[in-house]
Amino acid sequence: MVLTERIRAVRSLIMLVFIFFTIASLIYSRIMAYSLAPTMKPADFHGLPIWEIPVAYLMDYFSHGWICLLFAFVVAGLVYEFVPKDAITRYMGGNKVTGYGLALAMAPFLTVCSCTMVPIFAGVLYTGAGIGPAIAFLLMAPAANILSILLTGEIISWELAAVRIVVSVVVALTAGLIVSKTPWGKSIERELQQSNPTTQRAVEIVKPPLDERLLASLKFAGYLGKQILPYFLLGLVAVGYVEAYLPEDIVGRYLTGVTGVLIASVIGGPLYTPTLVEIVLGKGMWDLGMSKGALLSWLMGQPYDVANALAVSRITRWKVVLTYMVIAWAGSVVFGLTYGVLSGSL
Amino acid sequence: MPTLSVEVFGPEPPCARCRAVEKNVRDAISKIGAADISIKKLNIAAKETVQRYGVLISPALAVNGVVRVMGRIPSVSEVERLLRQALGT
Repeated sequence: MVLTERIRAVRSLIMLVFIFFTIASLIYSRIMAYSLAPTMKPADFHGLPIWEIPVAYLMDYFSHGWICLLFAFVVAGLVYEFVPKDAITRYMGGNKVTGYGLALAMAPFLTVCSCTMVPIFAGVLYTGAGIGPAIAFLLMAPAANILSILLTGEIISWELAAVRIVVSVVVALTAGLIVSKTPWGKSIERELQQSNPTTQRAVEIVKPPLDERLLASLKFAGYLGKQILPYFLLGLVAVGYVEAYLPEDIVGRYLTGVTGVLIASVIGGPLYTPTLVEIVLGKGMWDLGMSKGALLSWLMGQPYDVANALAVSRITRWKVVLTYMVIAWAGSVVFGLTYGVLSGSL
Repeated sequence: MPTLSVEVFGPEPPCARCRAVEKNVRDAISKIGAADISIKKLNIAAKETVQRYGVLISPALAVNGVVRVMGRIPSVSEVERLLRQALGT
């Protein structure tokens, strides 16, 4: 079926209006100073019957949160579709500085879909960019992808979202540099360089018309929603119960101060699910009195989750995985403490 | 009619988006009706694939060894256009 120019223009226009509406409603809510995050405080849950807690929490969440979620998914879909993906392949094989720069700059835009992370990690390694940029990419990706940054900003605070980006860059870069200096990191690089013939690759990316790209990006937004929202909902139910039943003095005792940072950094990792639940759960515990420092290291604990580590150890070696995990953990503790001290909430 | 080879790149085990590409390719081929089009699925995390094609971001699609689509799902009509172009019809 051949679509005429006019039909394409109309289709593009309809989708642009929808995208405009989504962005405008977020800006409008900003101007009117609505809170898009859940507003119920732990005290509101006391005295509710057990079945009513998740219902109350979800109702509270969705009366505010739908604009924020819609915006986050639509923007993630658009960015993923329109970011120039051939650039990363074209320049990745270049020198080290470009490699690190690209890995850090592109990671937030390419990894809203968690299943692309390990393939890209392998790809960066195999194109000859070296293990440093590959590790930097791997650690940067989950901590600072556009979806989780948007939701951290909306649900927790934009200050924390900004800190999360900066700290992710520093930790990812450090881990990449250190791993590339270790003997086991170097031996992998050597292996790959020897078997790296300089073949001329044929890449001729086609550009589809605007309406097809817009449709594809909205479809991708829908796909992300379908993947993530069910877990997100379950997570919200869990957070409802946490807020209702976790006594504030326990949170106050264990999730503040130096111990708080240490505990948060350790439980953050295994609890990682690529479903943004950690953000809502973090918000819930913050409401109950968790310190800001502990909250940061809780969010930073994500990059060393087990599923990705297993996949990476199959591509490289377990020593590499162990090295970057230790660095990521140390980073989350150090920066959790630093941020706690600087923001006066440790 | 000249023969064509189509390569679909995705992770192993395949993710939903890569399966969608494969399905669109099959639909496009059945629309064109040419018998001589082969489809191959390649693992994007394999060293040989990355070094031979230079693809990093899945899903990706190559026609006759030339990468045409990377990091998105091409629609059936788009695949059809690409294939017809390569066939010269």
